[in-house]
Amino acid sequence: MSPEKKVVVKKLAYQVNDELADKIREVMKSKNKLFFNMMGSIGSGKTLILERLAAKLSSKYRVFVINGDVATTIDADRIAKQGATTVQINTGGGCHLSAKLIQNELDKINIDDYDIFIAENVGNLICPAAWDIGAQLNITVVSITEGEYVVKKHPIIFKSAEIAIINKCDLDGLGFNSDVLAEDAAKIKSGMKVILTSAKTGQGIDELITALGIEY
Amino acid sequence: MHEYSVASAIVDQVKAIIEEHKATQVKKIIVSASPYDVIIPELLIEAYGIITAELDKFKNSTLEMQISKAEISCLECDYKGEPAEEGDPEFAYNFICPKCESRDTHINMKNLTIETVDLVIPDN
Repeated sequence: MSPEKKVVVKKLAYQVNDELADKIREVMKSKNKLFFNMMGSIGSGKTLILERLAAKLSSKYRVFVINGDVATTIDADRIAKQGATTVQINTGGGCHLSAKLIQNELDKINIDDYDIFIAENVGNLICPAAWDIGAQLNITVVSITEGEYVVKKHPIIFKSAEIAIINKCDLDGLGFNSDVLAEDAAKIKSGMKVILTSAKTGQGIDELITALGIEY
Repeated sequence: MHEYSVASAIVDQVKAIIEEHKATQVKKIIVSASPYDVIIPELLIEAYGIITAELDKFKNSTLEMQISKAEISCLECDYKGEPAEEGDPEFAYNFICPKCESRDTHINMKNLTIETVDLVIPDN
């Protein structure tokens, strides 16, 4: 009978992903590029916010957007119409992007051809929080139509972000209240930048650009 | 269900360990995670079973998950260690620093660690 051996490993399960994420961050920093990770719930308005950003930034910057969705190229096609270069990652059943998925797309392009990189993560408020994709800033988007407890019920995704966007504020007062969500997002993490937006009207988009550190 | 991705990450690392030790079989993997690691043990074990079903060297192997202590970092006083109490009644995952009682703390939610792997090594 062959002998058995107990190997002491003591390595984080996320180690391989996180090492690659650090490498992506280092490359972006060394090349003076910006890379943002936009997370958020399904239907919160992530794609329309990115359309607004692309429309504003594409005249001055070369913007590359990586869209993560289970299926279709709908989001990438929408954002491409606003002047950004886009690529769609279809994750199949996968509920989040990962550093490897991002690296696979970066390997297909010349990073020097772009100035700003934005990943639109797969829509959900849990899984993307645990997977570092190498971005310099994480953004979490929710909308006021998701109910007044949506921040409290999903603390992890907010703790993983530096910027919280409360979207669809054009519906404020019509049975929805942005104040409670903005207060909760500010309380949940020290230093959180909270921005009220309406991607539909364009409210808050300039403030978001400033918060991202982009000169416009 | 990101447990499937986590289980894949564990299996990938264990494959490298199998290679390194020239093992023929994995018997048992023990991992640890804190109660706030956003991992449901039953789902992780189920995902592990699905991923390894067709992998000969993982046949009949088991994945066991142990619960480790939660760890916070205090942004006020630089304390690192266990929180003073369970979560804030208003905000889950917000904890109190036992040293300075600040609520301005960060909870580490990525503690999931591969602790040990039991391998079968062939006789030379």
